[in-house]
Amino acid sequence: MTPEFILGCIILIVGVIAVGFPRPKTYLSRLISLEIPGFGLLLIMLAYDEMLALVTFIGVTAISTFVLVRAIERKEAAQ
Amino acid sequence: MNDLLAFLFAAVALIGAVSTYFQRDRFNKLIAVGITFGGIVPFIVDRGYLDVAIITSLIIPITTIIILLICRREIHDA
Amino acid sequence: MIALYVVAAIAVFAAIRATVERNTGRKLPYVNVMNFAVAGALVLLLDHPLSLVAAAAYFVGSTLEANAIASTYAGGGRRE
Repeated sequence: MTPEFILGCIILIVGVIAVGFPRPKTYLSRLISLEIPGFGLLLIMLAYDEMLALVTFIGVTAISTFVLVRAIERKEAAQ
Repeated sequence: MNDLLAFLFAAVALIGAVSTYFQRDRFNKLIAVGITFGGIVPFIVDRGYLDVAIITSLIIPITTIIILLICRREIHDA
Repeated sequence: MIALYVVAAIAVFAAIRATVERNTGRKLPYVNVMNFAVAGALVLLLDHPLSLVAAAAYFVGSTLEANAIASTYAGGGRRE
């Protein structure tokens, strides 16, 4: 039970609650809250010394954020 | 890193994570995400993964700037 | 060794102060203070030549992020 693992679990739970029940119920607030469980998962991967998984996870998070931003932009332009 | 130092940086990360949920403005939410990231980088460096810290601290601001493209200020208050 | 604790305490204080501040424009200087404190702590944590590069990368990235938020909040960078 390293401090990274405990902190990662706490941040993961807080982030999942924040994504599941966003305060202003908009797409943008849910997308911003989606970063927080990513950080929690990063800390848990760090506790298990998985370096390659960590770098891949960060890169894929950035690309998927870009895709989601494009999707939200298109959705808001259609309304 | 001893216990006191780990507690201090964990406090920074937890303050950011909790305040991301309770802030209502979109810019305040982005600022809180930045605070969370500032809390977790010392843990990455303390494990010895300096290359991971370099890559991470260059990619996360790019993610924030991508999100900033769709949160320009609304026109309604003008 | 006392410098590391001072820098970490400054980071916690700046994070608390940035959280309780209501005005978004006044939050950003405290976020910058926290970024400087964390960048200083990264250098002091590990005695390795590459830790200087890591601190420089964090400094550049976080300053870019804070300034991008400030620029968008002030209404700059409008494309249309």
